[in-house]
Amino acid sequence: MTTTRTSARTRTVTPPPVPPAPPSARDRGTRLLATLFLAPTIVGIVVFTVVPIAGSVVLSLFHWNVIDDPSFAGAANYRETLSDSTVLVSFRNTLVFMVLAVALQLLIALVLALAVNGRMPVWLRSVFRSAFFFPLVLSAASISVVMKYLFNQDFGVVNWLLGLIGIAPVPWLTSENSAMAAVILVYVWQQFGFSFLLFVGGLNNIPKEIHEAASLDGATGLRKHLNVTLPLLSPTLLVASVVGIINALQVFEQPYVLTNGGPGDSTRTVVMVIYESAFEQLRFGEASAVGVLLFVLIMAVTALQFRLSRRFVHYQ
Amino acid sequence: MTDSHVSRRRLLRYGAYGAGAAALTGTAASWDRLTGADIPGRDDGSLVVATLGPAYGPEAIRTLTEGFGEVHPDIKLRINAVQAVDWSDFFAKILTQIAAGTAPDLVYVATEGVQLFAQRLGVALDQWVKRDAAELREYFADVHPSLVESMMYEGSLYQLPVEFNAADMYLNNQVLKRAGASFPAADWTRDDFTSLLRDMKKSSGSRFTPYFWTNRLWGGVVPWLFANGTNLLTETKAPGGAWLWDSFYPAAERQGRGGGFRWTTPQATHDRVEEVYDYLASLIHEDLCTRPEGGNGQNLVGVFSTGRVGVTPAGGFWAGGLHLAGMQAADYDVQYFPRWRTQRMQFGAAGYALLRTSKRQEEAWEFIKYAARRDTLMRLFKTNQTTPARRSMLTADRYRETGPNHWQTFYDTLDKFPDTGPIPAPPQVAEVEQVLLKHTGTALAARRSVGPALRRMQGDLEKAMERDV
Repeated sequence: MTTTRTSARTRTVTPPPVPPAPPSARDRGTRLLATLFLAPTIVGIVVFTVVPIAGSVVLSLFHWNVIDDPSFAGAANYRETLSDSTVLVSFRNTLVFMVLAVALQLLIALVLALAVNGRMPVWLRSVFRSAFFFPLVLSAASISVVMKYLFNQDFGVVNWLLGLIGIAPVPWLTSENSAMAAVILVYVWQQFGFSFLLFVGGLNNIPKEIHEAASLDGATGLRKHLNVTLPLLSPTLLVASVVGIINALQVFEQPYVLTNGGPGDSTRTVVMVIYESAFEQLRFGEASAVGVLLFVLIMAVTALQFRLSRRFVHYQ
Repeated sequence: MTDSHVSRRRLLRYGAYGAGAAALTGTAASWDRLTGADIPGRDDGSLVVATLGPAYGPEAIRTLTEGFGEVHPDIKLRINAVQAVDWSDFFAKILTQIAAGTAPDLVYVATEGVQLFAQRLGVALDQWVKRDAAELREYFADVHPSLVESMMYEGSLYQLPVEFNAADMYLNNQVLKRAGASFPAADWTRDDFTSLLRDMKKSSGSRFTPYFWTNRLWGGVVPWLFANGTNLLTETKAPGGAWLWDSFYPAAERQGRGGGFRWTTPQATHDRVEEVYDYLASLIHEDLCTRPEGGNGQNLVGVFSTGRVGVTPAGGFWAGGLHLAGMQAADYDVQYFPRWRTQRMQFGAAGYALLRTSKRQEEAWEFIKYAARRDTLMRLFKTNQTTPARRSMLTADRYRETGPNHWQTFYDTLDKFPDTGPIPAPPQVAEVEQVLLKHTGTALAARRSVGPALRRMQGDLEKAMERDV
C-alpha cells in the first residue's frame, strides 16, 4: 500500500487491479475432475427433479385428461383451483397437520433423545435407537393398514384398551373431531425416529466441558437444558424442523389409507387432492396447478425458516 | 530416480474415468431393463390384455394364455395383471399406462368404468356381435339381459360381461343362533331387518356390531337407495339396442330394455334419499351399525368370520373369500337385500373393453369371445372369487364346499328381480363417487347433519355432472 502526503491528511491510493492469471492446466484438470464426479448427481437432479417440475408448471397451463390432446388453459386451472372449496380446505388441513405433527414429532424426539442420551448402558441406548428408528424403515402404507385395524371403532385394539379403563369407544377414524388426531398420531409414531436420531447426533456433538462449566456456575437439570443444550442444539433443530415440515406438507399415505380424506374433507391433504384430481378425475392440468402451488408453499415456508434461523440458531 | 507412486490426484482422475466408463457400460448393458424392452411380449406384436391382478393369479393367467394359444396359435398374447386394491385403483393405473403411451389392447373394466371407457376410449362391439351372432347365441342365452344392458352405452354394446356381483345380505349363522332368530324370508322387509339387528345386539356383548357396511359406491348407501325406490342420479335408458335384444333375447326378456343406462340429474336432496340417510343414522344412533369407514371392506372378512359382525352386504365374491378365511359352508348364509318401497337391488359387472388405440382389433375380438366361453370361465372361476355371468355355472356342486346354502340367491337377484340394476356410474363416476363418499361420511358422522350434508352433496354432484370428463 502506498501513502502520499496531501494537505494534512493521509490518503490511500488503491493500485489498479491485477488481472487474474489464466487457469493452469492443473486447474483445468481439477475442474474437469470435479465436474466428472458431480455429473451423475447433476444429471439425476436435472432428469428427476428439474424436468418434472418444469413439466408440471407447463402442464398446469393446459387442460389435459390423458385421453384427448392437451388444450391451452392459461391461468384457468389456477383460478379454478383457488376457487375450489375442497382444494382450499385441503391446504388448511395440510397446514394444521404440519404445525401439529411437526411440533409433536420434534417434542417427542427431543425428550426421548435427552432421555436416551442420559445415564444409560450403551447396549440399552442402541436398543432404544433401533426401536425408535424402526417404524421409519417400514412402508407408510402398510403401517397405515395395520393402524386402520387398531383404530377401528368397533373392533380396534385401541378402543378395547380404553374400554378396560372404562372409556367409551372413540370413533377415531369416522368422526370429524378425532380423525385428524388419529392421522397425526400414526404419522408422528412413524416419523419421530428420524428427528430422534438427529437429536442424538446433535447432543453427542455438544462438548462436555460446556455442561461442566454450566454445572460449576450452578445450573441444574432443566435450566441447563434450556440455556445450554437447546441453544447448542439449535442447528440440529433447524435441520429437523425443515425436513419435518417439508415431509409433513407432502403427507399422503396415512390419510389416504386411514380415512381416505374423510369424514367429509376433514383429513384431505393437498397431495391427496393432487392424486384424486389427476388419477381419479383425469384433470391433470388442475392437479399440476395444485402441485405448483404446493411447491411454492414449501419453498416459502422453507425460506422463512432459514430467514428466522439467523435469529434463533446458534453455531459454536 | 522415478517415483513409482501414483499421485492422489492422478488416482482420483483415473478413478473418475473408470467410474464414468463403468456407469456408461452399466447403463448400456441394462438399457433393455431400464426401458422395459425386456418384458416378454412387449412391442413384439402380442395382444396385450390388462386384468385386475388380485382376481387373476398366475394360474388364471396361465389358463387364459395357454387356452387361448390352443384356439388361436397364430395370436401371441400377453396378460398384464395390474395389481390394485379395487376398481378405481385399477382404473387409475390403466389410465397411467395410457398416459405413458403403453396402452393395452384390451382392459378388464367393471361397471364403474364402462361408460367412461365407452365414451372416451372404447370401441363398440356391435359389428362383431352382428357378424358372429350364430356363435354368440349360446352365450347370450346363458347371460341375464340386465348384465348385458349394463355394458351398453348409447345403443351400442362395449363389453361381454363375464362376471358380476349383486349386493345381497350375508348373515352369520352363529350370530343368528345366538339371537334366537331364524334365517330371514326372501321377502323380508326393512323393519324385519331392523328387528333382527336389535335381537342380535341384545344377545351379544358390547364388542359386537350387528350391521357393518363400507362407505363406497358398490354396497354402501346405494343398495338402500335402490330399496327405497330412488337413486343418487336420475336414471333413464338410452334409446336403441333393439339390434341386440331382437337378435338374442325372447320377447319377455327384452321387455323394457334399451341402449344402456343414462345417469344424469343429481337428486341427493330427494325426500327418499334423505329417508335412507335418516334410517342409517338411526341405526348408528341405536348402536346397531357402525359409522361407515372408507375402503374396500378388507377388514370385514375377519370380523364377520369371527362373529363380531352379524350382517353385511356383499356379493358372490364373498363365498370364496369367507371360505379362504376358514368359514365352513354352514357357518353363514346369504339372502336378498330387504324390501323397503321396492326390493330392487344393485350389481356391478365386468368384462373386457377394446381400446380404440389397439391395432389388433380383430385379434382382440377373438380374445373377448374366448374369455366369455363357458369352459374358460369354468377354469377361471374355480374358487368362487366372484359370481360368473353365465347362469349355467351356478350349481349346487360349485357351492358345495364353500357355501352358502342359498347360493341360488346370487343369480336369482337378477332372475327374480328383473329391475335390479347397475350402480350409477356415468362417465364422471370418479368424481361422483368421491362426492358420495365424502358427504356420506359427513352426514353420518354426527347427529342432525344429514340434511346439510345432502344439500352440499347435491351442489357438488351438480358441479361434477356439469364437468366434461
